[in-house]
Amino acid sequence: MNHQTRVYNSIFEMLPGEENPSPLVRINRMNPSPDFVLYAKLEWLNPFGSVKDRAAWEMLRDLEERGELGNGRGVVEPTSGNTGISLAAMSRARGYHMRAVVPNRVPLEKKVLLKIAGADLDVVSDELCPAPGAGGEGSINLAKTYAKAQRHRYALPNQYENEMNVRAHYRTTGPEIWRQTEGRITHLFVSLGTCGTVTGTSKFLRAKKPDIKVIAVQPSEGHDVPGLRNVSQLGVSKLFDPSLIDEILEIDYKLAYRRAMELFQNEGLRAGPSSGLIYEGARRIIERDKTGVGVMIFPDDIFKYTANMVRHIPSLAEGLHA
Amino acid sequence: MTTYANPDVLVETDWVKANLGKPGIKIVEVDVDTQAYDAGHIPGAIGFNWQTQLQDQIVRDIIGKEDFEKLVGGAGISPQDTVILYGDNNNWFAAYAFWLFKLYGHRDVRLMNGGRQKWLNEPDKEMTTEKPNPQPVPYVAQPPDPSLRAFVSEVLEVARMRHKNLVDVRSPDEFTGKVIAPPGMTETAQRGGHIPGAKNVPWNTAVNPDGTFKSADELRRIYLEQQAIDPAKETIVYCRIGERSSHTWFVLKYLLGLQNVKNYDGSWTEYGNLIAAPIER
Ligand SMILES: Cc1ncc(COP(=O)(O)O)c(C=O)c1O
Repeated sequence: MNHQTRVYNSIFEMLPGEENPSPLVRINRMNPSPDFVLYAKLEWLNPFGSVKDRAAWEMLRDLEERGELGNGRGVVEPTSGNTGISLAAMSRARGYHMRAVVPNRVPLEKKVLLKIAGADLDVVSDELCPAPGAGGEGSINLAKTYAKAQRHRYALPNQYENEMNVRAHYRTTGPEIWRQTEGRITHLFVSLGTCGTVTGTSKFLRAKKPDIKVIAVQPSEGHDVPGLRNVSQLGVSKLFDPSLIDEILEIDYKLAYRRAMELFQNEGLRAGPSSGLIYEGARRIIERDKTGVGVMIFPDDIFKYTANMVRHIPSLAEGLHA
Repeated sequence: MTTYANPDVLVETDWVKANLGKPGIKIVEVDVDTQAYDAGHIPGAIGFNWQTQLQDQIVRDIIGKEDFEKLVGGAGISPQDTVILYGDNNNWFAAYAFWLFKLYGHRDVRLMNGGRQKWLNEPDKEMTTEKPNPQPVPYVAQPPDPSLRAFVSEVLEVARMRHKNLVDVRSPDEFTGKVIAPPGMTETAQRGGHIPGAKNVPWNTAVNPDGTFKSADELRRIYLEQQAIDPAKETIVYCRIGERSSHTWFVLKYLLGLQNVKNYDGSWTEYGNLIAAPIER
């Protein structure tokens, strides 16, 4: 393995870490304050395409080390897509089968990618009733059912409850950012899904520099931003630790799509919708705070969301056919 | 602390565990998500598919008496058996099946409190993919009990006269017509809104975060005091396709013991498609 020449013996050597960090790229035209240095951390450049490479690898390695995989035993995981894609690719490359349980609202691109990556796919009509406390957990429950009824076939990493998800970011994302900004970071901007990213990264950075501001964004209720959860849905994220977050901004979810498109068109960053939402949160904070060094963790790119983009920005549907 | 009006219609997961495999006790899983049973179920439980087995496959209707007899007898259930129903989404379709069993006169049918999710999350409860192989038995059902089911003619009359309680158990967004169906649902209607005079009490008002039913006192306070459902009047509950309303029907009729409660299973997918039916938003 050589990070200079970028010649590797297997795809796994490309996984991110302090010696091989995902890139930080500075925001220029879309930065509202000249006295604020704003970076995007491009997680889509990880080998399987998203921030979820980190959690997936940590969880998989943990299962392997504990002897939980092999001899016909693979993994089953509830996922909005990215964790599943990472886990499927990693599992298959190591010789395990993988089953992904996804809510129906997951974009078609992700469902198809999961199958291309070799996952067995279950699609669940999740979030039937937008009422808290009941329903909306169908994919987690179905994955748990497989793991309970077919223990010999399935181990369940369960990113919503697995401490390895946090540890991945404590071990890699946090140290990468610390080193890349040479300790100058003042603001961290993240989104909330399983909350592995925020909890692990914030824990590491706060230990280095207690006054770093950690800003999390959330889509408005009834949202359509895959991978994220609204406050009312955070109950299932056992890794959510509000003491590690300074502010949570609730933002109209449609802006996620709008800002994602602007990031591509003005900065050349092919950011996905959760990145768009994070950018909007950063923009608002920068207008208020004016100075600082900020890092936005951009979870994935826009390629898996073209149909969602058309749905939320209808003008994209115009002129597509001869 | 008072008890439910009919405490016998509810069993706890521990009771089910203790009674697994006992003769005369038949466990049946009915889910919204029909893949769930195949992925794993309570040992010995039969699985019914609400789409293909509880609905007539030609006419839009529940299965007829003969089909019910064939289904239930074919599952090795006899009229004297105690039937325990459970399912996903806090027993939505388990409650629907409960309503169907009662409609066809089955004597002893009960819901497992907390449903599939509670069982799944209790470490001492096993699940299996093994399907039981029941011996078919003869089953003779009763003619459908008209006191449990409302048809659209009666509902239209209530919309006009307002002489009965009408309870819409859908989400507030469905009630106000902001959406016609919950996201991702295929069965829908031409129009959104609710039946004039209906009160909106979403089905999940009746459950705790773990999916079990709230206590008798809480239920009484919510439905009879806060929502002012008049127990002296007849009551009709509806939702979109009759499954969430079965859940509230169960609460009103069996847990609170209201005398005259009907499920309008045609619900919004029937009413919201009618020409000239009055709609409120
Ligand atoms: C596209 C996308 N954005 C954001 C997140 C949120 O990250 P985390 O789960 O670490 O909170 C996820 C994770 O599922 C994701 O897939």
